[in-house]
Amino acid sequence: MKKNDLKSMGKSFTKCILIIGVLLILLDFTFHRHEYFSFAEIYGFPAFFGFVSFVFIVMLGKWLRKFLMRKEDYYDQ
Amino acid sequence: MISSFIPGLIMIITSFLLPTIPQYFRHPAMLLSVGLSALSLFNGYGTFLEWDILGLNLILYQSDSLTLPFAIIFHIAAILVIIFSWHSKNLMEHMATLAYAGSAIGALHAGDFFSLFIWWEATALTSVFIVFAGNTNAAKDAAMRYLIIQVSSGVLLLIGACLMLYQTGNHNLAVLDLKTNFGIFIFIAFGIKAAFPLLNGWLQDSYPESSVTGTVALSAFTTKLAIYALARTFPGTDSLIWIGAIMTAFPVFFAVIENDLRRVLSFSLNNQLGFMVVGIGIGTELSLNGTVAHAFVHIIYKALLFMSMGAVLYRAGTTKASELGGLYKYMPFTTIFCIIGAMSISAFPLFSGFVAKSLIMSSLGGMGMVLIYFILFFASAGVLEHSGIKIPYFAFFAHERKNKVKEAPINMLIAMGIAAFLCIAIGVFPKYLYQILPYAVEYQPYTLDHVISQLQLLVFAIIAFLFLVKFKLYPSEIRSTVLNSDWFYRKMLPGIGKPLFKKIGLLTDSLYKNLGLSFKQVLSKSYKFSNLSYIKVTTPSFAGTILISILFIMLVIVLV
Repeated sequence: MKKNDLKSMGKSFTKCILIIGVLLILLDFTFHRHEYFSFAEIYGFPAFFGFVSFVFIVMLGKWLRKFLMRKEDYYDQ
Repeated sequence: MISSFIPGLIMIITSFLLPTIPQYFRHPAMLLSVGLSALSLFNGYGTFLEWDILGLNLILYQSDSLTLPFAIIFHIAAILVIIFSWHSKNLMEHMATLAYAGSAIGALHAGDFFSLFIWWEATALTSVFIVFAGNTNAAKDAAMRYLIIQVSSGVLLLIGACLMLYQTGNHNLAVLDLKTNFGIFIFIAFGIKAAFPLLNGWLQDSYPESSVTGTVALSAFTTKLAIYALARTFPGTDSLIWIGAIMTAFPVFFAVIENDLRRVLSFSLNNQLGFMVVGIGIGTELSLNGTVAHAFVHIIYKALLFMSMGAVLYRAGTTKASELGGLYKYMPFTTIFCIIGAMSISAFPLFSGFVAKSLIMSSLGGMGMVLIYFILFFASAGVLEHSGIKIPYFAFFAHERKNKVKEAPINMLIAMGIAAFLCIAIGVFPKYLYQILPYAVEYQPYTLDHVISQLQLLVFAIIAFLFLVKFKLYPSEIRSTVLNSDWFYRKMLPGIGKPLFKKIGLLTDSLYKNLGLSFKQVLSKSYKFSNLSYIKVTTPSFAGTILISILFIMLVIVLV
């Protein structure tokens, strides 16, 4: 029972976030969202930008490990 | 009398008296000194104390609309740190912390570059003891590196101030530009403390090595003092826009792969400074208000995040993501406070980060700076990644924990509670924050457009995180060192310098062998001295190498 605590929490959190995400996209269709730049007014633009940026940051960071990651005692050697 | 007493000075005096005060009364005395210093906040604007010395007119205490918000938040930060460290009996750290906060507050009220220099160095000399109080070999080494960098910043400031006095006959704090040589010196001096790109290594090197409580103090003052100094002397300097934009974007990638959560927060701190620097670079009333507002709220939520990680370090013994997880069960209050800090820094609506960051984003949007706007928008997703998700996720969730730990001590919870309350209060009632900003600007952060746009960005970034975790694409935590710009002086320079000095040593050795022997014999008749094994090839330590390099660079600049 205890071991499933985190999993079940994760599942319900995921559900909530997905519902909020869908609602936010639907909301975009109900009014005209004014932005400083016209292309940012496309439906769901901030959502798309947020998703892609996040994936890009994580994937590029992961790739950068090749160049930036050293052993924990690197500076002690 | 009290009205011409330099704010912060009473804290420094109290810090020196702390050893004479019984342990039990030390923290109340510290709080009292901050309270007495805070009385200066009611003095209003003006010049209150000047001192003519050696033909120089030093303005030791002045206050205006830019000073006030920083002075308020520095006092709040000092109070938070004192409460957070109530359990600690480390006298040296308490003395250093109080004197450090006092020096930073004193620096805010300096009206000329020489007075600023004195406080500038005082913050360096006091804060190094806080790093030192980490009490590990790594902390001691980091403290020495920290001291060299911080003092170098002060030396550059002094050179700039002297050049300015020599060339213009004036040394008062004024708006400068980068067309003058003294402007460049002062700009670099501020840039070091503001952790500009490539000058940032000291921050991520030293802050995470400090003690449980020390990092909280460190996170509040030095860098924000530099932001204040930049806002006062370089508003509207175009290059700051790009420097700031780079600062927001680059640390994000380092934070993704860093394993030590306090170091992740240090990268995050660097990223936040970027937003403030951009605001200074734009230089409009709205953007400068944005910078000050951001510095104000940032000190609170960053202190909150560092406090929560301090509490984790105190109870679990580490802040390495690879060894943490599942603490939510044992430290529920700390978890909640950490999440509030995380939501504030990520700029969720109704949290303090949102009402501050909006000012800077709006001024960028209003000026039509599309590229910078989206770099900062992108960096906002980055903030969510490292501070919004990574910190609470890896510390408190991620996986179940086997060993039980206790909840944080009550004083830590109180300090975190106050900070968390302020994060939400400022987010819900931003007008009180806006009232103390330097310029009177009507601004409404809560428009439907803005709220929806920000929520879409954040919620879909969280969905991206869940997606990456689900498909096992999110990088697992690995015990490692991530190279940063301190690599240049920790590895590269010694790598070049040591063999070079060895060669020079060998050269002088052979010169000595061929030429110096007879000379030496003249100097000393003792045969012991002519024994060549006496000469040892010495290589300076890495610290020496850095110092020599800095002095050399400074010499070159002055000669040019």
